[in-house]
Amino acid sequence: MVISAGTGIGFSVASRYSERPRQISQLIGCLTTLKACVSYISMPLPEALKHCGAAVEGPVRELFQRTGDLLGTEGWLSPRQVFAEVMEEMATKLAFAMPEREIILQLGSNLGTTNREEQQKYLTMVLAGLEKIEQESRRARDLNVKMFRYLGICAGLALAILLV
Amino acid sequence: MERYSILEKTIFPLLAPTLATIIKSAPLWILEEATELRLRASQPLLLQIGDKDFFLGRDGKPVADLLAAYVCSREDLVQTLQIVSRNSLYAFEQELRMGFFTVPGGHRIGLTGQAIMNDGELKALKNIGTMNIRLARAIPESAAQVMPYLLAGGGRVFSTLLIGPPRCGKTTMLRDIVRQLSSGVPRLNFRGVQVGVVDERSELAACRDGIPTADLGPRADVLDGCPKATGMLMLIRSMAPQVVITDELGRKEDAFAVQEALHAGVSVIASVHGRDVEDIKQRPFIGELVRQKFFDRYVVIGVSPSIGTVEMIIAVKQDALLFQRSNGVRECG
Repeated sequence: MVISAGTGIGFSVASRYSERPRQISQLIGCLTTLKACVSYISMPLPEALKHCGAAVEGPVRELFQRTGDLLGTEGWLSPRQVFAEVMEEMATKLAFAMPEREIILQLGSNLGTTNREEQQKYLTMVLAGLEKIEQESRRARDLNVKMFRYLGICAGLALAILLV
Repeated sequence: MERYSILEKTIFPLLAPTLATIIKSAPLWILEEATELRLRASQPLLLQIGDKDFFLGRDGKPVADLLAAYVCSREDLVQTLQIVSRNSLYAFEQELRMGFFTVPGGHRIGLTGQAIMNDGELKALKNIGTMNIRLARAIPESAAQVMPYLLAGGGRVFSTLLIGPPRCGKTTMLRDIVRQLSSGVPRLNFRGVQVGVVDERSELAACRDGIPTADLGPRADVLDGCPKATGMLMLIRSMAPQVVITDELGRKEDAFAVQEALHAGVSVIASVHGRDVEDIKQRPFIGELVRQKFFDRYVVIGVSPSIGTVEMIIAVKQDALLFQRSNGVRECG
């Protein structure tokens, strides 16, 4: 039982490392669509967020759909407040680390507050930042996934031996 | 109560939660008669009825002492702007340049703030400091009096220029003309025609996401937020309307577009600022349309004894006075 628990913990930590680059990649896809929605068709933000979230699956889809819904029904909230609230509620589902969380919150502070040209420039900058983070997250995945899996098994075994 | 329910549907949801709570608690008689709601950052909340104003306290009751009035915070304005713009100022660049939004119900929200200039032209407004919510009041059948003079028989409509000073009810009358031309007028044996509306300032149709929120009848096509001259020619090419309707002519290209529409056999109904026909003749571009008698009818509108009073209707090509208000008595027509 101790060995299975250790293995489980190791696999759980490893899965966050493998899930993170996938979710960042989905986030980049969503924000690219958002940029087009804002720049070319001036789609209002609640609809634009739901529209760009619809193209992906899983927690990132839910993040965009829920943010869009909440902004539509409680329009006095700023996108930053709503992103923060939804990310808090989805903390266990989202594999985002601090750098991408901060980028999303900064994006929330700027979304919808300027004209199309400025929004386009800002989203281009955000996407460039996320692409760098995605590369780093892939490197971290390659380094850590196997390590945490083995570490989990080994820690379980070691603890079992100590207990015996 | 009808007025209150309109405010409940169209205005309360647009206000920041704190402001909405206060306004909802205001006495019913004030809400029923209110014409404007002024929100100024760090200044008392003000509600206007015509030229009288009332400062509202935190409990919504009018207060005489300024110190007892609720002071609007910048946060109240920011939240209201977020609701009105749906957190999407980029989708309202044109509105920000013009300095106002038109919202469902036809209410107009005027804005002031810090101007951002580019090459000597106003590019946008930021740091909004004041919002003036002008509450629209629907006046059904406001065009009933003029309709018989606009119909030429055989489904044809006379090209008409509505003339009147600012805030005399031209837009309200124009909106009702659109509705009646589009829906038909059974009492005048008129079945209705295809109407094209160029709504440059989103005031006639009060479109939301391209769909009119004002009742314009079943045969009206609206080009929202489009410059009048471009829009008139676009509508003629794309929608084949029998009548094109637009608000506030003024520029050289507007006059050119009216001529093009008339030459294409499409009737044009438009409004223009001015006291009377002689006044309009002095205006550049539009004065030329008047001197060359491009329109069939002039309808002069005034504010006395009430907003939207028809002062005079003139048959231009016959040079005949069809109607003149004189102490409320119809003289001709």
